[in-house]
Amino acid sequence: MVKKYIAYSLDEALDILASKDVYIVAGGSDMMVQKKNTAGLLPKFDKDVLYVSHIDELKKVYEDKDGIHIGAGAHLSDLENNKLVPELLRKCISEVASVNIRHFATLAGNIANASPAGDTIVIDVLLDAEVVLVSKKGIRKVKAEDFVLGVRKIDRHQDELIKELIFPVHKFDKELWHKVGSRKADSISKLSFAGVYSLLGDKVKEFRCAFGSVAIKVMRSHELEKEIEGMSLSELNAQKDELIEKYSHVIAPIDDQRSNKEYRQKVAMNILAKFLDEIIKGGK
Amino acid sequence: MSKYPTSVKKVDFPEKISGKAKYADDFVFPDMQYAKTVRSTIPCGKIKKITVPKLPDGYYWISAKDIVKENVVNIIFSDWPVFADGRVNYCGEAIGIFVGEDKAILDKLCEEIKVEYEPETPIYDFSEAYISKGYKKGDYEAAKKKAKQVVRRTYQTGYQEQAYIEPQGLVLYYDESGKMTITGSMQCPFYVKRAVMRTLGLKDDEVRVIQPAVGGAFGGKEHYPSLIGAQLATASYKIHKPIKMVFERYEDIAYSTKRHPSKTEMEALIDENKNIIGIKSKVSLNGGAYKGCSGVVLSRALIAATNAYVIPNLDISGDVYRTNTVPTAAFRGFGSPQTIFAMEMFIHHIAKEIGVDPLELRMKYLAKQGDITANSGKFHDPIVLDKLFEKAMEMSDYKRKIAEYSKPGSLRGIGMSCFLHGCGFTGSGESDIIHAKVKVSKDENDHVTCYASSVDMGQGCRTTLKHIVAKNLGLPDDEVEMDYPDTDKTPDSGPTAASRTIIIVGFLMEKAAKNLKKIWKKGVAQEIIEPYVGPSYIHWDEETMQGDAYPSYSWGVNVVEVEFSPVTFEITLKGVWSVYDVGRVVDERIAVGQADGGVLQGIGYGFMENETCVDGKFKQRSLSDYIIPTTMDVPHMETAFIDNPFIYGADGAKGMGELTLVGGAPAVALAIENAIGKEIHKIPATPEYIMEVLKDGKN
Amino acid sequence: MAKIKFNLNHKDVEVELDPSTRLIDVLREHFGLKGVKEGCGEGSCGACVVLLDGYSVNSCLLPLANVEGHEVITIEEFSKTKRFEVLKEAFADEGATQCGFCSPGMIIAGESLLSHNPHPTEEEAREALSGNLCRCTGYQSIVHAVLEASKKGEGLW
Repeated sequence: MVKKYIAYSLDEALDILASKDVYIVAGGSDMMVQKKNTAGLLPKFDKDVLYVSHIDELKKVYEDKDGIHIGAGAHLSDLENNKLVPELLRKCISEVASVNIRHFATLAGNIANASPAGDTIVIDVLLDAEVVLVSKKGIRKVKAEDFVLGVRKIDRHQDELIKELIFPVHKFDKELWHKVGSRKADSISKLSFAGVYSLLGDKVKEFRCAFGSVAIKVMRSHELEKEIEGMSLSELNAQKDELIEKYSHVIAPIDDQRSNKEYRQKVAMNILAKFLDEIIKGGK
Repeated sequence: MSKYPTSVKKVDFPEKISGKAKYADDFVFPDMQYAKTVRSTIPCGKIKKITVPKLPDGYYWISAKDIVKENVVNIIFSDWPVFADGRVNYCGEAIGIFVGEDKAILDKLCEEIKVEYEPETPIYDFSEAYISKGYKKGDYEAAKKKAKQVVRRTYQTGYQEQAYIEPQGLVLYYDESGKMTITGSMQCPFYVKRAVMRTLGLKDDEVRVIQPAVGGAFGGKEHYPSLIGAQLATASYKIHKPIKMVFERYEDIAYSTKRHPSKTEMEALIDENKNIIGIKSKVSLNGGAYKGCSGVVLSRALIAATNAYVIPNLDISGDVYRTNTVPTAAFRGFGSPQTIFAMEMFIHHIAKEIGVDPLELRMKYLAKQGDITANSGKFHDPIVLDKLFEKAMEMSDYKRKIAEYSKPGSLRGIGMSCFLHGCGFTGSGESDIIHAKVKVSKDENDHVTCYASSVDMGQGCRTTLKHIVAKNLGLPDDEVEMDYPDTDKTPDSGPTAASRTIIIVGFLMEKAAKNLKKIWKKGVAQEIIEPYVGPSYIHWDEETMQGDAYPSYSWGVNVVEVEFSPVTFEITLKGVWSVYDVGRVVDERIAVGQADGGVLQGIGYGFMENETCVDGKFKQRSLSDYIIPTTMDVPHMETAFIDNPFIYGADGAKGMGELTLVGGAPAVALAIENAIGKEIHKIPATPEYIMEVLKDGKN
Repeated sequence: MAKIKFNLNHKDVEVELDPSTRLIDVLREHFGLKGVKEGCGEGSCGACVVLLDGYSVNSCLLPLANVEGHEVITIEEFSKTKRFEVLKEAFADEGATQCGFCSPGMIIAGESLLSHNPHPTEEEAREALSGNLCRCTGYQSIVHAVLEASKKGEGLW
């Protein structure tokens, strides 16, 4: 019989984590689906469970010199309405699942579950967010990009709990979030794209883009970003097709019940192309 | 001021809105047991051996060997076994059920049972026809010799899942007299009753079926509950305790019946003056593992093959194919959404190919009163399609938009469909087969109650049927009672299907009320039982498919406007305008509700709702993956009705339940076609399909 | 098993159940609140929506553990309020209920919207109801009903 623990403080949670291998449940919106059982029966948890939604220390959202701290237990709907939260993330959150689910789902839960279709992970990765893990041994910070290892695989040690995510405060000239779902709301992504850039004169000063639902995890190419940064807009224009061709190898979409690989590949590149066009036009 | 001043209060509204209405899963009885189905994991083959785990006390395994009388579900064509006997023909076919009081133990038993198979090669394509039908009009072959041009196209439609929000489920219990009683989510209480009687060999007075609140059905609960009912009744024969079986959503989507996928190959003969002188249509339907009601679905598909157009020479035929997949069955429209989609697209594609304006071409062939139907019957009643077109075009600003959106580079598109739907059972089926009856009675206190077996599954028939009685008796609506159907108290007024409730059952209620009024004696208990007598001029031969296919027709025009994204190939709905001739509207609020919901279900079928079957298994098994529209997907919708009373309908009303669905798919597909500038041959026209269409330059 | 206290329909309650028990099962089976409906069991349809501290949440995805110390309101309690009467009248007038299976959830989602945004635009109303599926109405009547209630219930929210 598996045990269920409810932690009311961070210390209590870390004590349990120090000695047990548990599933950690925050809002529950993803875990309760993954472990879904016949109606009326307990979810199918095959090992102990630790509930962390009552830990007040995990609900804080604040800014300091390191950036914007978003507590692991903060609900998506609260973040959606919090002006401290990066705007691109808020835009993304406003299209996650449904209004009802956003009332109890969490940002940390989204990345911890590491679904290839987890929307907010795209923004975590794009904005260089750090995942702050805490255990009795101390604190460990991992870049969001490195935190997700694969489908439902994350770099969390058994005794660790996600305390918060930290987003660097950084302004870009333009930001784009584009989710392609099967319908306009209450939908799981077929693919998603996030991009940011800043210009200096007619040169690209900063460029980043990330793709969701088109590989086992969120894909971003630092190499190609470096290649683009420093380009003049006319160079970008001249090399656009070549860059898109290179980006087309960054992603590796698959067929599933929501879409197919050809569509995902083509549309991801179409959105990238449109984004690059906007940059090119933006300079003129 | 009410939005619908002439509408009456919906009788079941207060209990539904406050959460008090009881649906299948809300029934709880002392000592109630649960049932869970063990299903075939292979698409076809022999069952070699079943090893049932040791059953704890109070747990039962019920399978083919427990069948009391006949191992068959009583559907129109009875070939579907209650429990697989010796072989399975689709993934998910019921091999047996475990019954007991703890669901966790039932799940464990389902995991532990071992079924060994000898697999056979499954069929998934259109290769083994098991029902064939057809009819001709004029002389197609002779016309072909005269034709100067022949236009050909093939159209395909996919599965559609009813996606009622309440899953399938029934509860069996024993009433106060100890009689076996079944309640739950169903469209046709008498179908469930007869299925149980047949499987168990029971007499008419040995089983009772009572309908509670039903959370949507759309055809999906027309026949399928007969299967569940027969299974529970078989179990109860051994167990003698109340048993509940409510489906999980995945079970419902993966294993209950859906709309038939179809392929329609069409050929049009064009003469030297660009007239369409003949149409040939060959319809193929995927019927799944068992025939069930597919013969009637095919029949209705073929009757609608040329939709609202009158063409002199026809060669119409079709087949239902056996495949090792979940049987397909009733779904709002019953065959006609498939062929009407094909015909609406085809007439546009003909126009394009012969170089005439599509609107002019279709206007030329619109049915008029007195015209000969496809089946060589007659359109007996007045037809006001021209008014429907006029109104729809005015509401939607169609002419300006089609001109503007047809210009190169426009990302908007507009599409217009026109369509008919036959009301009631095919041909003279109402008079010859169904023999519907209703009862209107009053007690000594002059309190009136009306009885019909029509199920209110959201369409509001308890309100409208009662209203018809009250109105004809000159009583306020709340002085007339109408309860949910109970086969012990309610005469069989036929199934709640085929857009027949208002036109047939409503008509009977009207007559019964009028007759009661004639003999009304104050302070005396009186009752009228009214049997159906149809129009005597309706004659139909099912064998040759010749004659009057329906007692009457309802008509409609839908206009859909979309916007297309060349980046993502996504379609956004921008507006929906609908005009219907449903005879005379009985209750405007209820009619608008049917219209809005129906057209959205049709539009969803056309561009969004995607159910694919791979190796005999559905890929989309949840409401997250089988996508139906949300509030955010729906644009402004406007609906109008053109009054055209029908002499044999209640207060002039004709059918409307299915009509409102059939035009949605072609309207949205034509809008997409207009937006992307390429022909659409397949629905759902998903972004993935649109991308393919645009890639293929030949189109 | 654990003893878990929460406030249900304005009453403090304590249950002794596994903390993983889905809130919907606690409400329907333990407290007999059958107005909470199960349509999908995975948060897609919204038929099971209840108010948790005033916000609409899917009770099929909420473990009981997360409800401890919080306030849960179901349709059974909400239907005693003046706000409900206003929503009810608007739903009746628009014909926003057909089969009724989604209705309790829709009402709760409507209340969750109006209590935090008493004068929503049509777009905001559509957004707020987008996690609640309805297969009967085409939504038009439901969206209009919530907007009507917002007007007629001036001052209530």
